[in-house]
Amino acid sequence: MRPELEKILQETEKVIAGKREVIRKILTALLAEGHILLDDVPGVGKTTLAVALTRAVGLSFRRVQFTPDVLPSDLTGFSMVDKNSGEFVYRPGLLKGVNLLLGDEINRASSKTQSALLEAMEERQVTVDGKTYPLESPFLVIATENSVGTAGTQMLPYAQMDRFLVRLSLGYPDYEAQMAMLRDRQGANPIDTVKQVLTREELCGLQLGVRTVTSREPVLDYITRLTLASRKHEALEVGISPRGALFLDRMAKARAFLEGRDYVTGGDVQEVFADVCAHRVLLKENAKETSVGQVLEELLKKTENPDRRALFSGHRKL
Amino acid sequence: MKKSRIVYGAWLLLSIGLYFFENNTGTRVVLLCAVLFPFIPPLRSVLLPRKETGGPEPRKAATVRGFLRTETEEPGDIRPWVPGDPVQRIHWKLSAKKDELLIRMGTPETEPIAETEEIPFSAGRREKRPVNLPAVLSAAGILLCALLLALVPAARQGFQELCNRLFAASEAVNAYSYRYFSVPENPDLFPAVCLLCCMGMLLAVWAAISRGPLPALGILAACTLGQVYFGLAFPAWILIPLYGLLAARMLIRPADRKALTAFCTLLLLLTTLTALLFPGTDAATEAASEKARDRLSRITEEITGILREAPEGETETRHIHPRSLENGEENAETALEFRLVTVEEEKIAMPHSVRWLKIILLLLLTAAAAILPFAPFMWLNARKRKAREARKAFESDNAGTAVQAIFRQVILWLEAMKQGAGNLLYRDWTERLPAGLPENYPERFARCAADCEEAVYSNHGITEEQRREALALLKDTESAMWKAANRRQRFYLKYWMGLAE
Repeated sequence: MRPELEKILQETEKVIAGKREVIRKILTALLAEGHILLDDVPGVGKTTLAVALTRAVGLSFRRVQFTPDVLPSDLTGFSMVDKNSGEFVYRPGLLKGVNLLLGDEINRASSKTQSALLEAMEERQVTVDGKTYPLESPFLVIATENSVGTAGTQMLPYAQMDRFLVRLSLGYPDYEAQMAMLRDRQGANPIDTVKQVLTREELCGLQLGVRTVTSREPVLDYITRLTLASRKHEALEVGISPRGALFLDRMAKARAFLEGRDYVTGGDVQEVFADVCAHRVLLKENAKETSVGQVLEELLKKTENPDRRALFSGHRKL
Repeated sequence: MKKSRIVYGAWLLLSIGLYFFENNTGTRVVLLCAVLFPFIPPLRSVLLPRKETGGPEPRKAATVRGFLRTETEEPGDIRPWVPGDPVQRIHWKLSAKKDELLIRMGTPETEPIAETEEIPFSAGRREKRPVNLPAVLSAAGILLCALLLALVPAARQGFQELCNRLFAASEAVNAYSYRYFSVPENPDLFPAVCLLCCMGMLLAVWAAISRGPLPALGILAACTLGQVYFGLAFPAWILIPLYGLLAARMLIRPADRKALTAFCTLLLLLTTLTALLFPGTDAATEAASEKARDRLSRITEEITGILREAPEGETETRHIHPRSLENGEENAETALEFRLVTVEEEKIAMPHSVRWLKIILLLLLTAAAAILPFAPFMWLNARKRKAREARKAFESDNAGTAVQAIFRQVILWLEAMKQGAGNLLYRDWTERLPAGLPENYPERFARCAADCEEAVYSNHGITEEQRREALALLKDTESAMWKAANRRQRFYLKYWMGLAE
């Protein structure tokens, strides 16, 4: 693992113990310039984690609690008439100057607001009255969803879910982790001890570095075979989209970069596969007894891995 | 197809045709010569020069820099112009845009240009080929000797005498064989057949093990000698495919010169010895040989008769009335024409028909019988050759390829011993490695897997150090697995997988 990223991890771990894997994945997504959908119950430390992360990297952070009356203009900003000059002046919204946006309960926002946010996520810019304003770079959205069926929610459309790079889950801490957390918070809040170990510019440099990672033919072949297999799987209504394949490649690259490699291996793809693809597939009505996780695992198991394919294609097999 | 091969094929066909017309000793010798022709060194070097020199083919050698296509270049590709490239291929539009001369890689339309410019090169190349002077001289010498043998009276008479003596020898052997073959009426054929089968099988084994031409030559010699000296002539439909097979085998896999020279010398010696040992014929020998021939021809007839005709013994009588078949009723005029016809007569009356189906079936059977005993050995050899080729990659110039090949071999070993972890990534195999491996084996395996990943997935070069490590790992794997294998597994490793030597 790269030393600078290792340092971020250590700093973040000061406030949230025992979640090394998830923090790693969030870091990976950050490097891959993608957005994260968090699938979690309240109170497991999403905000704490985000704050710690932003402090360690020196990013600006904002948390938005979505409710049905949050308007698109609250996010993007709006133009209003300036009394003195009599001209329209742009008043930036919540997204202005934010590197990491934690959008809580995104499915409680109205569809209009959702689409405004998702557009901002995709384009990394907002357009108000025909004028385009770029957002801060890096721009990362961590969105959480309320569990399905709660009153007053607008389910995130499937097409918009596809725009999130990964879906992760923090989950409850285990005994050890929770004991450590309680002990740490007896005195001061450990969040104040988090030091900045990386500047924003350095992070941008690392993000550029991710783009230089090479995915060679065997890896691309593997990704393609996996996605094609998911589209043909009998338990799946909707398989992985081409965008999913692109994101899979991007996430794998980021992971390889995190590991300090400049090439993607089949292992990288396997590692990120479930996180990247779980929210992109839909189970069939009659296949409710299996879970998406099982189906994805089965896909990984059934699809010939690229190590093997690269080594044995054109050579005799057993 | 090469011209020399066509010439050779024509000669072979001619001699086979001759064999059909006149099946005598002389023709057999001609046929033998035809089959052996590519292996008489001087003749071969003159008439089959390309085979002999094994040099690069002129077309290939003529390719100059401009036409030399590397594998990465495909039709439609664009690359910068280098001196020597044809002007016609320059992509003017693109060149103007890029301010640099670019050429299109070969498309079918531009191919003829390359063709026309290639001719002078190939012609020039052909002229330069060195003439194999000793071979030409020796061939000329042979021709001269043959001419002298035919033209100079003294030599010709001597030659005739020699031929007579050879013939006498053949007669004498026939006479001997008659004495030898005098057996009681109903001999037990079983042991002889068993032994012959054993011999055939052993011959097949020998042929498979020794990669040289000796077995084929041996079979050929046995057939020919059997024919020439014993008159043990198989029917033509057996002999011709047999000769064809042998000739084909020799053409495909040319015999090495030493063995051939030895064989030819042996044949010559044998002929000379028999000619010297049997100075002439006497009446007793002649008579004995006549008897032997009678007996042999009778046996041949019996054998071939069984194949050709229905079993005898049942002489059935049938009433045949030519019109009754048509009308189904009798009248006074035709009633008289009833007569008795025996089976023999009917056979004679019937038009002679050639049973093509039977002949083709027999041919196929012969071919199968000729190939089948060799098949498992051919298959084994093919596997072995493949394995050897796989091992050749270990010394590849590209260390990446080498590491991949080595690691592939390690995986094959593990999987052959049922220690593989299937569709798991190789670096995760370390958790499933069996016991009984050297102490630091898993770490080394993981390192080698990582090296292999690097070779497959990255653009990095692989170092010699990594190659050495991989080789050491393979060695350890081999020794550990071989030690752990039981006899059945070792057999499997050796013959099925071709992993162990």
